[in-house]
Amino acid sequence: MKRFGIICALALMAAGLSGCGGGEKGEYAGQTLHIYNWGEYTGENLISDFEELTGCDVIMDTFESNEQMYIRVAAQDSYDILVPSDYMIERLLQEDLLQPLDKSKLDCFDKLDPDVLGLPYDPDNEYSVPYFWGTVGIVYDKNKVALEDLEAEGFGIFADEKYKGDIYLYDSERDSFMMALKYLGYSMNTSDEAELNEAYEWLVGIVETMEPEIVTDEIIDNMAQGRKALGLIYSGDAAYVISENPDMGFYLPETGTNIWSDAMVIPKSAENPDLAHEFINFVSSYDGALDNSVTVGYTSPNLEVMEYLSGEDGDYYGIDAYIPRSGNKNDEVFSYDPDTRVIISDLWSRVKIAASNAG
Amino acid sequence: MKRFSQLALPYIVWAVIMLLLPMLLIVLYAFTDTGNEIMTFRFTLANFVKFFTDRDFLLVLWRSIKIALKTTVICVLLGYPIAYFIAFSSDRLRNRLILCITLPTWINMLVRTYAWIGLLSDGGIFQQILGIFGLGDTELLYTEGAVLLGMVYNFIPFMILQINTSLTKMDRSLTDASHDLGADGIQTFLRVTLPLSLPGVVSGISLVFLPAVSSFSIPKLLGGGQFFLIGNVIENQFITVGEWNFGSSISLIMALIMMATMYVVRRLEAYSSGGRKERD
Repeated sequence: MKRFGIICALALMAAGLSGCGGGEKGEYAGQTLHIYNWGEYTGENLISDFEELTGCDVIMDTFESNEQMYIRVAAQDSYDILVPSDYMIERLLQEDLLQPLDKSKLDCFDKLDPDVLGLPYDPDNEYSVPYFWGTVGIVYDKNKVALEDLEAEGFGIFADEKYKGDIYLYDSERDSFMMALKYLGYSMNTSDEAELNEAYEWLVGIVETMEPEIVTDEIIDNMAQGRKALGLIYSGDAAYVISENPDMGFYLPETGTNIWSDAMVIPKSAENPDLAHEFINFVSSYDGALDNSVTVGYTSPNLEVMEYLSGEDGDYYGIDAYIPRSGNKNDEVFSYDPDTRVIISDLWSRVKIAASNAG
Repeated sequence: MKRFSQLALPYIVWAVIMLLLPMLLIVLYAFTDTGNEIMTFRFTLANFVKFFTDRDFLLVLWRSIKIALKTTVICVLLGYPIAYFIAFSSDRLRNRLILCITLPTWINMLVRTYAWIGLLSDGGIFQQILGIFGLGDTELLYTEGAVLLGMVYNFIPFMILQINTSLTKMDRSLTDASHDLGADGIQTFLRVTLPLSLPGVVSGISLVFLPAVSSFSIPKLLGGGQFFLIGNVIENQFITVGEWNFGSSISLIMALIMMATMYVVRRLEAYSSGGRKERD
């Protein structure tokens, strides 16, 4: 492993040097940018293109959950760029772990979709620039599920006995409780224990009668192969599923859903904030954003890229899951509340216990 | 002699730091609660009451014990004949067979369990084989059977090696004597070989049952999110819920159950070998 690391480092250095030799810019030659990002969340050439452009070396570590990332950032591990989700940015801000962006170094805001700017976790985008965004909705097999049922029942379709044994739930307390609270007509950011308990009872009802499989990313391949009729899914994953299998559809209930975004932030412990600003500009530029969105399948906050990819020549033409819904007043953004988080985690683990006791 | 016992000092320090301290911390957490600003923690039995008064938790515990028992029984039934065959083959063959048994354990358990996901998943090789017999729709992954398979697969080497050791150590002239005295093969096995190999079976049982009852990665990977065993409950309390006190209480309860099980098993073994001596 160590030797592999050395080879990688040499390869990176070689790439950096060659970029320097032929490049016009290369002003960051010899410097290093440390990125902490989700796994499989960057365009295939994004990092090498950025290295070529600036002459720097990039070291990217990946995480699988916001909480995993939080632990390392809170322990003062040094990164220049993080890509957490909305509610986690709020938490990092509350705990004073982020530094404000220097807007004189950024040239990206006019390229970005206004719908994904100024969200409640960072109202003036003083700390964050969006990376990807989307919604959470229902992926369904058009041959097995009637659109009228979805329109009539919304998220309630997961409790419809017609689809017993034919559904996937997503193993995440936030998304599951979002679904339940939205179905019941409450805010997904509620801290009212009676409402949370009602959501809990509804979820227990589902796991006890509907025989769902509670999965994580397996849902992507399984739905692309049409294994089950219904599943709760992130819009970007749905766009991929639908591009693989045209029999699949994506539905957002009228009772509202979660508008989520992952955004780039610079932690206080960053060693190279200048280079970090450069990276934010690059990711937000047309080329960087296009590479990202084509490879990963999530919605780009760059308006031009989003319009191109969902347009006639784009990879996601005709796939409405690619364009996040705007204008539904029931849609909400997650906010971070430590006490509610503990309650929801506890209730979700009890839902899973109920599910395994029912099986 | 005294100088030699001083050599044990580093080991004692090591054991205190690595074994005793974590255990003490768990006990401390188990009996405490995050208190108020002035007293950062206070002693309480609430965590234990919470566990034993909740039907859901007890059901999970019961299912964990059941699946660990099933794993252990299957490991004994499958492992004994294999160990017997290995122990009574030629030296060269025996070494090679033991290598075959231990070889997979050189690879990380998680990696091997991930491999089973691929084999058991929809459209995987096992389903294709079942498809030949018209059973292609049988769900294999995310069932209790898959979890059981994963546990037996991961833990059976410990059973085989333990039984094999006690069979190899056995004095072969005893079976010869038994035959000379007119016992047939079955009688020799039941009255000589089996009793002499019981210590191996017993330590095999402890090496299989204990990790099986507290396993959380195998049910998570092969049973899916809706298959929750007591190990998953503990992991969940620590990682996602953040209730370290309650998690520690369940860990302590599990530790006590395991100790009790081991005590019973060892007593049974002592009883059976003791009883035999009297009869002789």
